[in-house]
Amino acid sequence: MGLIELAAAKALASSAVFLFITLLMMASAKRISTCIVLFSVQSAIMAAEILAVAYAGKSVESYAVAALVIVVKVVAIPYLLFRIVRNLKASQDVASSTTGAQSVFIMAALILLSFFAVAPYAKTLRLDEDLLAAAIALLLAGAFLMVSRKKALMQVMGLLVLENGILLAALTTTFGMPLVIEIGIFFDLLMGVFLMGLFVFRIRDTFEHLDVSKLRRLRG
Amino acid sequence: MIQTTFNSFLVALLIIPAVLLLCRRSRGTRALPPLLLLLALLAGTVVAGFSFWRGDRLALDLSWATPFPFALTVDRLSAFFLLLICAVGVPVTLFSTSYVERHYSGPKADWMWALLPLFLLSMALVVTASTAFAFLFGWELMTLFSAGLIVIDGASERRRHNIFIYLVMMHAGAAAVIASFLLFVPHANSLDFISMRAAVASMPMGLRTAIFLLSFVGFGTKAGIVPFHLWLPKAHPIAPSPVSALMSAVMLKTAIYGFVRFTFDFLGGGPTWWGYVVLLAGAVTGLLGILYALTEHDLKRLLAYSSVENIGIIYLGLGAALVFMANNAPVWATVALVAALLHALNHSLFKSLLFLGAGAIADATHTLDIELLGGLLRRMRVTGTVFLIGCCSIIGLPLFNGFVGEWMLFRSFIEGAELPGISSAIILPLMAGVLALIGGIAAACFAKLYGVAFLGRARSIEAEHATEVTTSMQAAMALLAAACVAIGIVPGVVLNPLMVLARELMHSPALPEATLPISHALPLIAACVGVVIIAVAGIRRIKRVTPTWACGLPALDSRMQYSSAAFSKPLRKVFSKVYEADRTVEVAYAQEPYFPKSIVYRSVRTTSFEKSLYRPAVDAIVGMASRLRRLQTGNMQVYLLYIFLALITLLVFMRFA
Amino acid sequence: MNLAIDVIQALMLIAIAPLVRGVIARIKARIQNRRGASVLRPYADLLKLFRKQDLVPDTASGLFRLAPVILFAVTATAAVFVPVLHASALFGVGGDFILLVYLLAFGRFFLMLGAMDGGSSFGGMGASREALVSALAEAPLLLALTSVAILTHTISLSGIVLATVQQYPLHLSAVYVFALGAMVLVAIAETGRIPVDNPATHLELTMLHEAMVLEYSGPSLALIEWASAVKLTLILALLVGVFAPWGMATGASIVGLVLASGAFALKFAVSAIAIAVIESSIAKLRMYLVPDFLGMASALAILAVAFTALMR
Repeated sequence: MGLIELAAAKALASSAVFLFITLLMMASAKRISTCIVLFSVQSAIMAAEILAVAYAGKSVESYAVAALVIVVKVVAIPYLLFRIVRNLKASQDVASSTTGAQSVFIMAALILLSFFAVAPYAKTLRLDEDLLAAAIALLLAGAFLMVSRKKALMQVMGLLVLENGILLAALTTTFGMPLVIEIGIFFDLLMGVFLMGLFVFRIRDTFEHLDVSKLRRLRG
Repeated sequence: MIQTTFNSFLVALLIIPAVLLLCRRSRGTRALPPLLLLLALLAGTVVAGFSFWRGDRLALDLSWATPFPFALTVDRLSAFFLLLICAVGVPVTLFSTSYVERHYSGPKADWMWALLPLFLLSMALVVTASTAFAFLFGWELMTLFSAGLIVIDGASERRRHNIFIYLVMMHAGAAAVIASFLLFVPHANSLDFISMRAAVASMPMGLRTAIFLLSFVGFGTKAGIVPFHLWLPKAHPIAPSPVSALMSAVMLKTAIYGFVRFTFDFLGGGPTWWGYVVLLAGAVTGLLGILYALTEHDLKRLLAYSSVENIGIIYLGLGAALVFMANNAPVWATVALVAALLHALNHSLFKSLLFLGAGAIADATHTLDIELLGGLLRRMRVTGTVFLIGCCSIIGLPLFNGFVGEWMLFRSFIEGAELPGISSAIILPLMAGVLALIGGIAAACFAKLYGVAFLGRARSIEAEHATEVTTSMQAAMALLAAACVAIGIVPGVVLNPLMVLARELMHSPALPEATLPISHALPLIAACVGVVIIAVAGIRRIKRVTPTWACGLPALDSRMQYSSAAFSKPLRKVFSKVYEADRTVEVAYAQEPYFPKSIVYRSVRTTSFEKSLYRPAVDAIVGMASRLRRLQTGNMQVYLLYIFLALITLLVFMRFA
Repeated sequence: MNLAIDVIQALMLIAIAPLVRGVIARIKARIQNRRGASVLRPYADLLKLFRKQDLVPDTASGLFRLAPVILFAVTATAAVFVPVLHASALFGVGGDFILLVYLLAFGRFFLMLGAMDGGSSFGGMGASREALVSALAEAPLLLALTSVAILTHTISLSGIVLATVQQYPLHLSAVYVFALGAMVLVAIAETGRIPVDNPATHLELTMLHEAMVLEYSGPSLALIEWASAVKLTLILALLVGVFAPWGMATGASIVGLVLASGAFALKFAVSAIAIAVIESSIAKLRMYLVPDFLGMASALAILAVAFTALMR
């Protein structure tokens, strides 16, 4: 029994670092499929965290949220994305506008920035500083991925990472949102991925590639 | 006894030019001035050594003879820097005896022997002065004498331009130094160091900050921190080699002395951000210095840029010491300060060694372009060996002196993590990374230098016919090399008195035990390496000389060797943002497109500081001057009008003020 | 007793170094569906080389033959620093990680000089590339070790290992993860493995180390090869010692030492398999992507150091 408690505590305490690792790896990843796997891992870490919170708070709702995360984010969305990648038969390259080392450095800077940003709030609100910083870092990282990667699918990835950040922020500040809202968000996301998938195919069919920077040609 | 020796040391330096004037007629006494200089410097070394190790205080007050208070005092800090000047002066003088004989004759040689002691004397004045006047007197003379020594090698248009830049920047720096002295005036009743030190207690924080910033800029200009380093790679390489050695190895250190005296002794440290300013300056100076050095092909310019780098490392130590002081950790501030001072000493030793080595190479091959050297180690064994020791020292390999200072620096940076402030706890340990990066690039830079200049096959006829230099030159370099190795293996000799010195400055209660192991570990490691070398040397290795593998082609020639430019290419590519090189390739075709007749490749590094900082500043000053020139009409009535207007303004001002 | 163990473990590290290479090569061969040479092959190679003549280029100076000796001597000395069987080493107390890193740099500097003494462009090219890799690898290596040193409040390698081995694995700070990431990347670059360098190639476009030693032969080459094997082994031992020291003996009991040897063999086997798998599954990086690779290591190391302050 002691071991489970210890593991739960450890999961909470060090999950921030593991989230950061997934972010750094995403920054250095050159293939879309790697990013998808990393997203799945990231969501699994989130699920573990929610489970730990559920275990500590003995809340049934949180167990349900954890289950949802596992079903939707760890399995369903990655599966869908993989299918899209496979069916597109396009190049796997993420088409980054920064080099690998630059991306990793920027990501590291974003992580440090989020620590400095949350430090005053975490103290006054008595929240877990690491997790709150991780939430902000996820938000920033998602935005960074959307900005710096040219492939349409990577914009989806960015959005998903960003959403993970929102979930984590909710989890750390209020110990989880009400179940109904969580469910709503998940379905939103799922639909979003479907829609983006459709768009990706449309972009590909119309322009023969997936590089959104080429959309510039659309302006009058 | 010591006091008398000290006095006679100063007098000897002063009268050598006079002796020279008397002796120049007769052939037999020509050797007298160098000998006298050598003896004086040896006496100076002994005096400074005594004072440094034992802490004896020496004083000399000449105020009765001068219109301003003019006094000299030697405390431990002064003694350390005096030791540095004299100890480097001895081998440099030894080297000069035959260098001057072989390169100069008649008036030029006389000028050399007249200015050299005066230059050394002015530096000795700077580090021993205990009044503002004596300090500034020495400070200005130091600039003038060094400029005079540079002129000996010729005064072509280009050289004059470089000397002009040197003088202008030195005077701008001196202005800042003078200003920082003058800021003491309202609070100190006289400008001797004792009352200045006492005055600080009653100063408001703003004034202290102003003094700190002014001394930082003023001494920083002399030390050559980026962006005030512009003069350094222009002035140092064009001086005669022994003078370059003195300028790089010793003159820059007087600026370190001044900065330590002001910031640590007078002001006694300040808020944490002072430390950050110095750290930042050190990091930028170190990195840019070594990156610029990496691209140089001119041996002495490369060494000059590497001096910039080493000054950066010293400033890193000073910055760390300031941060520790501000955070109330005097014990570790002591370590950081010792690291900085020790590196200053080490840099003096190996940089003078390398500059003298450059002099020896110039003596043997008449060129300093390393692309025209090569294979020198086979032809100049002693020079090659001691130069290798210099290279090993400068990149901080263990068992050579450069390592000890860097190790202490690393140690104090890591200890920064224990500070309570979160920014200090992050910034200081990260500086260890900066230092490691500097060290890594320095290794690449000096591997390039040594590999291209001393190894492989000769790249020119001059290099092929190089012969070993004279015995006194070899002895001078060997002396410095021996010092480098000695401090590298048994650092305790200088480390312990330096610790005492730094403790006095910091008012530190204790010494950190954690830095002691290095003194014990280094001899052990030396022994271990020695044992393995002896064991391995016993392996039977039958030597057979063969031509280098040429991939089946008839033979290799020197043009197929990797050149210096090619060697540094990968690193230049990685740091291309820093260099902003202007590259031009001109191809002249005999028959387009496959048969080029000649290809000219030119790559000019535009120093961004010159372009974006100095050019606008100079333009602004010149513009302002030309606008002010309109006041100068040449008409008598207008000048009278100015006086009249000034009178009225004064009267009005007096009424309302 | 302790002294004896220290000496034995250092000698052992030097002695088994060729074996480690042989094992990696064997596993790699198996993964690639080849039989592969015996794991003792590197010893046979060394013996053969030691019996041959030493060919020296006609342009070379005395430094050419001195460089391998110095390289071997400093690498062997560095091996004395690393705790292997128990959480201490001969130079473990006075010898800290800064010294270790700089001793390795010492050897590399002389190897670069020896390469340039040959007077051909191969040596120069190899040295130039090695200079690039080592210049950029030193900072992340030192920073990663610095972060661990900060966590354990000591800079001596014995201290670091002892502090780690006394902790329960789950209690380790998460900063170790960043430091481990940086260290692994740097270790790959430092030891010249894929994807930074290919130890099995002689093609000039791809090689670093092999280009440097092209002019060397006979006993000199044997010394260089042995030294680089020792370097690989000691960096592996360092990684294992700092990040997974469990199983090491803390006292000087025979049972503990036997167990420690077993644990050591197991951990090395796992690392060898990991290296073989990585080397078989990814391609070598283009030369100018190596700075990118090391840049990532630097970012990780910087984060590791920053986190020691952020998470305290």
